[in-house]
Amino acid sequence: MIPIDELKKYEILAELDPGELKFLSAMAEATQAREGEVLIQAGLPARTLYILQEGDLMVAFPDGRAITLHKPGGVVGWSALVSPAGYTASVTCLTDCTFITFSGSELLRLVQRNVAMGTKIMRNISKVLSRRLPFLQEKDRQRLRKGR
Amino acid sequence: MGGFSAISAGNGWLIAALGISVVFFGLASLAFIITYFPRAIRWWNDHAKSPKYTVQLLRSLFSQRNKKATIRADTREGHEPGELDDVEEALRLLTTHMKEPFKLPRLIEVAEQRGLARVHSNINRLLVKGTMVGGTDGLFRWANGSENANHND
Repeated sequence: MIPIDELKKYEILAELDPGELKFLSAMAEATQAREGEVLIQAGLPARTLYILQEGDLMVAFPDGRAITLHKPGGVVGWSALVSPAGYTASVTCLTDCTFITFSGSELLRLVQRNVAMGTKIMRNISKVLSRRLPFLQEKDRQRLRKGR
Repeated sequence: MGGFSAISAGNGWLIAALGISVVFFGLASLAFIITYFPRAIRWWNDHAKSPKYTVQLLRSLFSQRNKKATIRADTREGHEPGELDDVEEALRLLTTHMKEPFKLPRLIEVAEQRGLARVHSNINRLLVKGTMVGGTDGLFRWANGSENANHND
């Protein structure tokens, strides 16, 4: 469980009201990974969504292109919200990292039950991704739109 | 005198054993060379395009290997003074033969194969410092002197 005040800090959850955050707070968990650790392997079933609390990440796509994330609030593993899906990129910790994690299936069930909340989360993820990944392939954008 | 007596008298057993050993070690050496020959050719194709480059690369690798054991002893501790400069120099050498802009995952992979110390965190330090920058195309390049911005946040 992660306190609501902590969740509110992050862009993808910023628009949620206290009631919605309370649901997420109960589902959220904290996790850590070490420098050099592969957090997510492209192609494997996407089961977890990660929000970066602290540390630095590299998101590497199968074609060799990559981006790095250095600020808290970076989201990785969004494929977990598009079921059934595999991760589209690998994520490696460049430094020791801490994350807030959500089980993809639980989060998906929650956003399917609460359409308003789901729309807010998906819209924010979409916003973050399109700003971060101008080279994101059209098929990935389509998958995200379908999951909305 | 004939037969086994003659062989013994003429050190035949010793000569036979010596002959077997020579042939065995010859064949073993040949097998070893054949096994590693493709790797040597691949390494040469990938990295040794000029003798000057080879000398520089070997020098950087040996200097890194000496430090590697102490640096890796405790990854929780901070980095050693001067480590970043050494790693940057080695990475610049490695990227000499990659088309710039280069792919960061590939650079990390090659740097790890070469035994560079704490590749991930050192590359991160270069990114944060702005020495290495990522483009919106997902490829990375070395920044020019005064350029000091990281475009990846």
